[in-house]
Amino acid sequence: MNQTLPEVEKAQRFKDWVLTYSDMLFGHAVFRGFDHDAARDLVQDTFYLAWKNMDGFEGKASVKNWLFVILKNKITDHYRESASQAAVFVSGHSTQFDSAGHWAKPSYPKELTVNLSEQQDRLDFQTILEGCSAKLNTIQKAVFFMKYMDDLESDVICRQLSITVNNYWTILHRAKVQLRACLQKNWLLIQNI
Amino acid sequence: MSSKELAFNSKYMNAMSCHEAVTFMLKKEEGKISFSQQLSLWRHLAICRLCRLFSAQNRLINYAMKQRHEKLIALSEKEKREIIQNVLDQNAFS
Repeated sequence: MNQTLPEVEKAQRFKDWVLTYSDMLFGHAVFRGFDHDAARDLVQDTFYLAWKNMDGFEGKASVKNWLFVILKNKITDHYRESASQAAVFVSGHSTQFDSAGHWAKPSYPKELTVNLSEQQDRLDFQTILEGCSAKLNTIQKAVFFMKYMDDLESDVICRQLSITVNNYWTILHRAKVQLRACLQKNWLLIQNI
Repeated sequence: MSSKELAFNSKYMNAMSCHEAVTFMLKKEEGKISFSQQLSLWRHLAICRLCRLFSAQNRLINYAMKQRHEKLIALSEKEKREIIQNVLDQNAFS
């Protein structure tokens, strides 16, 4: 009985952790570009590691910070894995440019009237940005979020994802051009409603 | 870009394509272009309206990315129970 009691307590504490912190972790994973199911799986993986290492944890940091460190490592692992499969993707030519490297006619950038200091424009633009960035593939999301949200420099991103500098610029280029096209298309669509 | 502009571009502008101009714009954000590349980019932008439009949209995207914030979203009670169950079960049989 003495030996099983701590296990019961441990399980109870673990349940409390899940109930208290899973939404925060889930929200963060979604923010980092994972869809609902992938984000939930990441949260589960995080808690699995937390459960296995619970004995070693014991108050060295706050539970919340500790769980976030685990989640962030999981996310980086996930990104790196997708980077190792991205070699195929970075070859081939973008369809938004012609063979001479000039904008292809259907992809011409257009004038957009966006005023981000106005609330309605800001909300609309953010909604479209969320939708369009969700359409990027995993490696594009990884590079994009690390660069524009975490403010990391290319050499740091390359090291973390184990990609070459050339691949980095190709991935970023492709992501930016694709995101821009998606934004323009949807922005003009809602402007014409 | 019209064919006239294209011809002008390749004759006088070190033939920087729009594809390359985008690359230089992205590298410039990190301060990773040389002075001569910067000059070529300026010259390209001076004559290429499409790339100027791209550049404006690019700045808009970068700004909006910084404004992103985490939303309060929740897993369902069922999903939370499943996470607890899955983790404890996995552990029991490992």
